[in-house]
Amino acid sequence: MNQTPNAQLRTPNAELSEHSTLGVQRSELGVGRYLWRFLDFVVAGIFIFAGLTKIFNLDQLIADLQHLRFASVFSDLGNLSLANVAEFASDIDNFKLLPWPVSVALAFYLPWLEIFCALGLLFRFLYRGALSILTLSVVAFTLAIIAAKVRGLDITCGCFGHASQHWSFPAHLATNLAILAALLTLGFSSRLRKSL
Amino acid sequence: MKSSLVGQAVILAALALLPAAGEAIYFRDKISWRSAIAPSEMVTVDQARGLGDTAIWIDARPDDEFASDHVPGAISLNEDRWNELLPQFLAVWSPGKKTVIYCSSLSCNSSREVARRLRKEAQLSDVFVLEGGWEAWVKKNR
Repeated sequence: MNQTPNAQLRTPNAELSEHSTLGVQRSELGVGRYLWRFLDFVVAGIFIFAGLTKIFNLDQLIADLQHLRFASVFSDLGNLSLANVAEFASDIDNFKLLPWPVSVALAFYLPWLEIFCALGLLFRFLYRGALSILTLSVVAFTLAIIAAKVRGLDITCGCFGHASQHWSFPAHLATNLAILAALLTLGFSSRLRKSL
Repeated sequence: MKSSLVGQAVILAALALLPAAGEAIYFRDKISWRSAIAPSEMVTVDQARGLGDTAIWIDARPDDEFASDHVPGAISLNEDRWNELLPQFLAVWSPGKKTVIYCSSLSCNSSREVARRLRKEAQLSDVFVLEGGWEAWVKKNR
């Protein structure tokens, strides 16, 4: 195809217009990036908290924070003790889905998996793997609490240690669905950012 | 890091395995992998009989099973009628007494649940679960 030489030259106005569009896109991406990072931090914080409450006995610390007794926080941290793994294993066993040895293994393993995946979100290290593990685990847990409800089991989820001990079924479900929505949003945004 | 989604998930899963294994080794004497009841909270039939008069026997099975037969002197305390039966048990209990709870067999859970609730709700210590439950007691005594 023959083209005149002038056809390939851009007018200054066209270039200006393109630059300004790109500029807007970049700034939008920049704002979006901060928002996604903020969501990363929120979700990671939730899972780090969930993991730590199962590994350490944070009851006193949480109680002091709830009552704004900040002066006691340092002494609480100093007196930190390991949580009773048997209690979390019993919580898993109460779902009546797994044999006891598997419940014990999960009681040791799940809190660390939550923490490592949360760190993955925080530092963007193995990011997609962390997102997929957390999404799958939240889906599995949501199905498990629905199954427990259907079978009329009185479950204590133990997902946030004693803080969630007396949560009702709707509270469990709402929390799980909110976390799941956040994880799916991060997953889609990650794919979107990759494609741009 | 450029690796597949599955690869990333496997790396994370493997990383989490290391501290979990360390914790499991640290807690090896505090939790039983065979049963939900810690070894220190379980007694055999012989051990339970050795407690003599200091033991209060609790039958955690349903009412009809308790009515058909039970350990001599045992009190019925099951979760179906917990609020009704608990005061009857507390009326017989006194400090220094040891509580031995049993249900049908090795695989039943009700004795474990009753033991857990007595420790948590009634704040009792010296609460034990009979290993093998009613089946083990019958085997040893008949």
